[in-house]
Amino acid sequence: MNRRDFLKLASLLPLGVAAPRLLRTFGNPLQPGQPKNVLVIVFDAWSAFNVSLYGYPRDTTPIINRLAQRAVRYHNNFAGGSFTTPGTASLLTGVLPWTHRAFQLNGDVSKPFETRNFFSAFQNHYSIAYTHNSWAYTLLRQFGKYIDELIPRELLMIPSTDTSITRLFTRDDDTSAVSWERNINVNDDGYAYSLFFSRLIQDLQQKKIEHLKPLFPRGLPTSKIDIGFTLEQARDYITNRLTSIPQPFAGYFHFLLPHYPYNTSKEFYNSFNNDGFEPIHKPEDIFATDERENLSAMRRLYDEFVLYCDDEFGKLYNTLERSGLLENTWLVLTSDHGEMFERGIDGHTSDVLYQPVVRVPLMIFEPGRTEGMDIYDHTSAIDVLPTLIHVTREQAPDWTEGVILPPFAPAKEMPDRNVYALRATKNGKYNPFTIASTVMVRGDFKLHYYFGYPQTPGDGLVKLYDIKSDPEEMTDLAMFKRETTAELLNELKTKLKQVDEPYL
Amino acid sequence: MRHRGYILKNMINSITSRYTRQGLWSLFLTCVFPQHLWTLIFAFRDMSWLISRTNLWDAIGNASYAMVYAFLECLAIFCVFTLLGLFTPKHWEVNRRIAFMALLFFIATIWGMISQLLYLWNIWPPLPMMQFIANTGRPLLVTYLISLAVVVPTVALPVFIFMRSKKALPSLLDIMDRLSLLSILYLFLDAIGLVIVLIRNIS
Repeated sequence: MNRRDFLKLASLLPLGVAAPRLLRTFGNPLQPGQPKNVLVIVFDAWSAFNVSLYGYPRDTTPIINRLAQRAVRYHNNFAGGSFTTPGTASLLTGVLPWTHRAFQLNGDVSKPFETRNFFSAFQNHYSIAYTHNSWAYTLLRQFGKYIDELIPRELLMIPSTDTSITRLFTRDDDTSAVSWERNINVNDDGYAYSLFFSRLIQDLQQKKIEHLKPLFPRGLPTSKIDIGFTLEQARDYITNRLTSIPQPFAGYFHFLLPHYPYNTSKEFYNSFNNDGFEPIHKPEDIFATDERENLSAMRRLYDEFVLYCDDEFGKLYNTLERSGLLENTWLVLTSDHGEMFERGIDGHTSDVLYQPVVRVPLMIFEPGRTEGMDIYDHTSAIDVLPTLIHVTREQAPDWTEGVILPPFAPAKEMPDRNVYALRATKNGKYNPFTIASTVMVRGDFKLHYYFGYPQTPGDGLVKLYDIKSDPEEMTDLAMFKRETTAELLNELKTKLKQVDEPYL
Repeated sequence: MRHRGYILKNMINSITSRYTRQGLWSLFLTCVFPQHLWTLIFAFRDMSWLISRTNLWDAIGNASYAMVYAFLECLAIFCVFTLLGLFTPKHWEVNRRIAFMALLFFIATIWGMISQLLYLWNIWPPLPMMQFIANTGRPLLVTYLISLAVVVPTVALPVFIFMRSKKALPSLLDIMDRLSLLSILYLFLDAIGLVIVLIRNIS
């Protein structure tokens, strides 16, 4: 090769470098008339109560507040349940927990819903999914035959012996990982099943995350059965995939944050320390387990963790916007359930269904929308799927129980209907409900009905709140509005009887 | 490659010349006992929260994995102690070597348990001692030296007794013999654990 040939070839070098990127971006654009992409982003255990966009006094979501100026914002959106399994399953199947039957801890949906879900509904889309959450992963695996690209859970976690264990026992990753964690992790409880190797393996694992420790002063975000992960890692991977995969795509990405442990990044560490914020004091519930002082501290850590999610969502949004994908993508931002720090209860493991654990954010970013909109109607996680099917002009399935959300519904008014949430971890999957917590929202009222627990009376515990005038659920109206209570309770019991029928 | 093969061959020769099959089996059973006992105690301790986290089947699954992990750990520990045994004097008879390695293994086990139990029972060194260590300017080094000062006698004394006393060897062999029955039971539980793990991963 002479000097002239070399210069000729060298002039093509910049094109050669840029070509793969250009091909990725323009290689598979949406054709006119093709349905648009669908992207669902879920932050786990993210309560609408702790989101400044919905009126929380702490500024926990400054970036989402700004981005949502162009979104449809749902202010009264309810999860299907108060923890991952029913919440995620309702979001992905468009039916309530008593229909899909995934209401036990780490449970799965009943047989018919293996073929009736988000991924099967978007048959003409390239489907891609990821979650950090092992219980959500149980469900994704169940829907696996409809998912073109199910990203292995451990892929976006820091490689360690934990991820090796989950890779080895792919069909039982949660229990094998829990057992492994109990085997080697001496930190939390001070003891491990392993007498000799626990400290050795743990020290080796800690060395792997040494470089990340300064970035996360409270420790790395973790699901407690792994050594950790970062949202940055997931964000980078996902944006890379989304700009590479065929369009239209239907993506479901379920990040474990801001789930406990609330290990925020250095940037937001102590952001709300001594900020003078005093949450409203609420009376202890019969299911209370925690101290009030502890709850305030936990709430602050949680709020600082929400800031980290807010920041990462902003970065994800900006990257997708710059890539041009958002022009063709319906983007949904929501959660599977909430989190609470009141009434002597923290987290979402209690059997109560107060607003902080069931009211979750929902925002829909419509392609091309420049102005935001606030919707105050009561909506549910089960409405997300029919709405996305409707807006992408996919064939509407006949099995969803949700409705098309405003402003996308053909009818201007929301239909008159009840919104429900259920928690029944101790009830048999295919048994009639004998021990459960359930709420029914109708109009301004929310009826709580707890039955079968040792703490509740024989005929159950009933509470009634006017959530429009009393969104904090401070005044139980069950004793004062007896007629309304009886009417709503009767309706709820009729509904329970109806859903129990196939299992009697 | 040839060099590695040579080392391996030599190692196997050394092991076969210094151990009998029966002796290795006794040492393995000795290694099985404490690790499995410890695992079972804590797996049962975790049972209630695991049942409340998911269900009884998952709690059984947790214990099953724990037994399988325990078995693998015992296997690794057994290999380590077998290799360490090669450093004992050549003229020792097999039983003496086995009993000696078992003694060292018991000491290591007891320290493994103590280190976890101190944390579990919330036992910490007295405050003045911690202050003294902190004030030395080299707290890590001093901590290691103190630990060494505590650990060395607990190893040296039993080893001394083992070397001097005529009763030590038969007593140790007797203990190993008694434990072997329980160890076999634990191995049986391991097998059940393995079956459960397989069922969980196939079904």
